[in-house]
Amino acid sequence: MPQDDKAQLASMDEVETLITGQGRYLYCVANSGERVSLGPIGIDGSNVYTIPYQNICAVVHKCPAEPYQSTEREMVNSWVLAHQKVVDEAWERWGTVLPLGFDTIVMDKDGVGPEKNVRNWLRNDYDNLKSKLEKVRGKAEYGIQIFWEPHVIAQSLAKTSPEISELEEEMKSKSRGVAYLYKQKLENALKREVEAKADQCFRDFYERIRRHIDNIVVEKTKPGDQNTQMIMNLSCLLARDKTAELGEELEKINSMEGFSVRFTGPWPPYSFVGT
Amino acid sequence: MEPTRDTHYTLVDLLDRVLDKGVVLYADVIVSVAGIPLIGVNLRAALAGMETMLSYGVMQEWDQRIRAERSEIGKQGELPLAAGEQVKLRVYGSHYYSEGIYNAWRLGYFYVTDRRVVLYQTAFNGTLFETPLEAITGLAIQRDNHSFSDSQRENLCLSLSNGNIVLLHALDVHKLREAIEDGMNALGLATREIQALPVLDQGTARFLGKDEEVIYRGKMWHMMELPVPGATTTDTWRAGHLYITNSRLCWWYDFDEKVLFEVPLEAITAVAAETRQLGPMLKKDRVLDVIYETEQGKRVACFSGDELPQWEKALKEIIAQQGAVTNEEDVETCPRCGKEAPVRELLERGCGRCGWVSPRLKKQVPEIASG
Repeated sequence: MPQDDKAQLASMDEVETLITGQGRYLYCVANSGERVSLGPIGIDGSNVYTIPYQNICAVVHKCPAEPYQSTEREMVNSWVLAHQKVVDEAWERWGTVLPLGFDTIVMDKDGVGPEKNVRNWLRNDYDNLKSKLEKVRGKAEYGIQIFWEPHVIAQSLAKTSPEISELEEEMKSKSRGVAYLYKQKLENALKREVEAKADQCFRDFYERIRRHIDNIVVEKTKPGDQNTQMIMNLSCLLARDKTAELGEELEKINSMEGFSVRFTGPWPPYSFVGT
Repeated sequence: MEPTRDTHYTLVDLLDRVLDKGVVLYADVIVSVAGIPLIGVNLRAALAGMETMLSYGVMQEWDQRIRAERSEIGKQGELPLAAGEQVKLRVYGSHYYSEGIYNAWRLGYFYVTDRRVVLYQTAFNGTLFETPLEAITGLAIQRDNHSFSDSQRENLCLSLSNGNIVLLHALDVHKLREAIEDGMNALGLATREIQALPVLDQGTARFLGKDEEVIYRGKMWHMMELPVPGATTTDTWRAGHLYITNSRLCWWYDFDEKVLFEVPLEAITAVAAETRQLGPMLKKDRVLDVIYETEQGKRVACFSGDELPQWEKALKEIIAQQGAVTNEEDVETCPRCGKEAPVRELLERGCGRCGWVSPRLKKQVPEIASG
């Protein structure tokens, strides 16, 4: 075949992207080989469509080869929500998706267009992507955050701890100066008790939650508000229709005095597809 | 209890997932910044803008190509040029601005044209610094050896015909220098090396004793006890610079421009860092306690600032050299669940609560396992 004819075979959109230096913003990989347009549902109303390879596809839109960036929190939030909306749409449509993080943009490189680079990625990483899709099939991610109110916990510990009641008893008979030292001793003892209680709660809750799920990731805790403190932050993977039992278990924790639980989801399995 | 997706809290939860997680595509076809993939912290910084990323030091090796692509796309806020004026170089950089007690590196784009050097802030279209090439009387590259964060940093010094010396910084200061020198040569101007380099901050020269040399220098807050009429004292945090010289630890108060705290290195017996409330109006932050001996007994001086860990390390090394004992029972919080435990326990055994293990330990385990 003459060189010219070969060049003719390159699809027109790739020729175009070579000229304009465009990129492809990636939303997710889905378990379908369908070539389809999902319409203008993407970030900033971009037209979302699929790039298939065999029986999987990447869900993308066309964009310049530069990251989305903004100092406006509202702007970032709306982009992230739009990203999530597209992933949700694909999830709804094909049942299983591997979500990508925000701002993953494939560009052209060494004369190869972005469209082709996406396809090359799907081809080169096919086995890995396929096995990940298999692992999360029919499953969803749920966020579980457990909070407690430290002063409520401390109060109840003060009532039950023998060490603390002993110290309190001794303190009553002491002079003011010595009582001050006792107060410090008491505070330290209470602090140790609270830490020990946190250890125990963590293990207990972790075991109770683990029974109802397929996979778990312990996340960083975040600062709570004035009176509450986050003691656990988990991402859990489980079948989408199996949340009832887990919900019951969480309800039990939620109803304990001084404790509260946040249960979010279902999310696409963001925390279980990384590496 | 039912899972929910539609409250304020779930937005935070979603942001964490979408910004920090998901399939990671490690390939050179991904739009990255200077080869750093846009995930997690990098992505958060990138979202806040390239300038933020640069100022946070995320991009140590700025990728000219990506910058060029970007500037092609968003051609807003370019420097207005005179008729026939040609831009020879346009690079991101900064200029050291000092006026009274205010001093800062101001960021913008350097334009080296065939007639002048300008630092231009594209976001608000303002000129931060400008000099005609004719006014440049000398150039020199100066390296800052004393600061923790900037030990590799090089600055370009320009001496000007009005007698001032200005400090400029760009990721490649040599390239900036070359462009300026090329421009000067093209105008038939001679380029000279500056002989006497300026001291980076003017204060140092004044308080250093004979044979005294600066080992480290950096911005640190210091808690000063101010006498209050009617009461005893009150604590106030003041901005200044901390110095370790070959003989002492001292703190230069920027506002009064004098040394307000100093202690001979051999008098320092211990250092400890902990998180503390800095004051009613300030947030909680890490505080470095320097414990030292005086004739009246032990004293504590408190410092705080971004480079606190480096200062702690540097001071501990000095104490160790002197044979003093450092505080082994330092308490740290687990980076994942926040449990408080002795540093050693966290580093050597991991967190007893959530199972966090330090990355270094994690690396060791497979190494042992594999033989």
